[in-house]
Amino acid sequence: MKLIVKEENGRIIGTLEGRLDTAAGPGFMKEMEPLLKNADKQIILDCAALEYISSYCLRAFLALRKASAAKGGKIQIINMNDKIIKVFKITGFYKLFDIKND
Amino acid sequence: MKPIEHRIVLKNDISEIERLHDFIKQIGKEYHIKDGLLDEINLAVEEAIVNVIDYAYPDGVEGEAVINVNEENGFIKFVIKDKGKPFDPTQVKEADTTLGVEDREIGGLGIFLVRKIMDNVQYERTADGQNVLTLIKKIKEENI
Repeated sequence: MKLIVKEENGRIIGTLEGRLDTAAGPGFMKEMEPLLKNADKQIILDCAALEYISSYCLRAFLALRKASAAKGGKIQIINMNDKIIKVFKITGFYKLFDIKND
Repeated sequence: MKPIEHRIVLKNDISEIERLHDFIKQIGKEYHIKDGLLDEINLAVEEAIVNVIDYAYPDGVEGEAVINVNEENGFIKFVIKDKGKPFDPTQVKEADTTLGVEDREIGGLGIFLVRKIMDNVQYERTADGQNVLTLIKKIKEENI
């Protein structure tokens, strides 16, 4: 699993790749730190190459969403595949996030 | 004829999740389970196993989780056994998925996912001190 973070015209773009299973969780939490630090800004999470997500890693999404809400930032998720959207729907995360589908 | 059974023994170590993933992939091939469905099954079994890894045994104590899998009449059945402390996931309070961002609690989602994804979840504590968690999911459409 990989998370690449870059800044583009004042917006923070996080590109996620691979499987976010439980074993990847602690590493993912660490890789999320630059995003958490920028939670007051507009963040875009590109999930096109995200294949799988466990509850442990869903927690990291929620932590970021909470930080963003507290600091007045914005998060948008783009290109998330149907399998992961289904997990977001089951857990009620779908309505916590601004998810843009093509 | 006795149905074919698949079996894996996992240590209570989070690095075992990769072996579990490979095992589920094999199961998927064997029973021709569609990709999307197999990912859901993988997630439910992973969450159940993570629960054993995290909570069944005291810190620093080595323990095992054994999974037996078979298929019958279009349903796949995972029987997960451990010798840790008694824990009945079917009695855990459901996560409230209707809450907004501020009120939503971090955590409590693993068992919730197991119960939502699987068609049937049963728990038994055996007389010889084992937790037995049975997860059943339909993998084939009925022939009408």
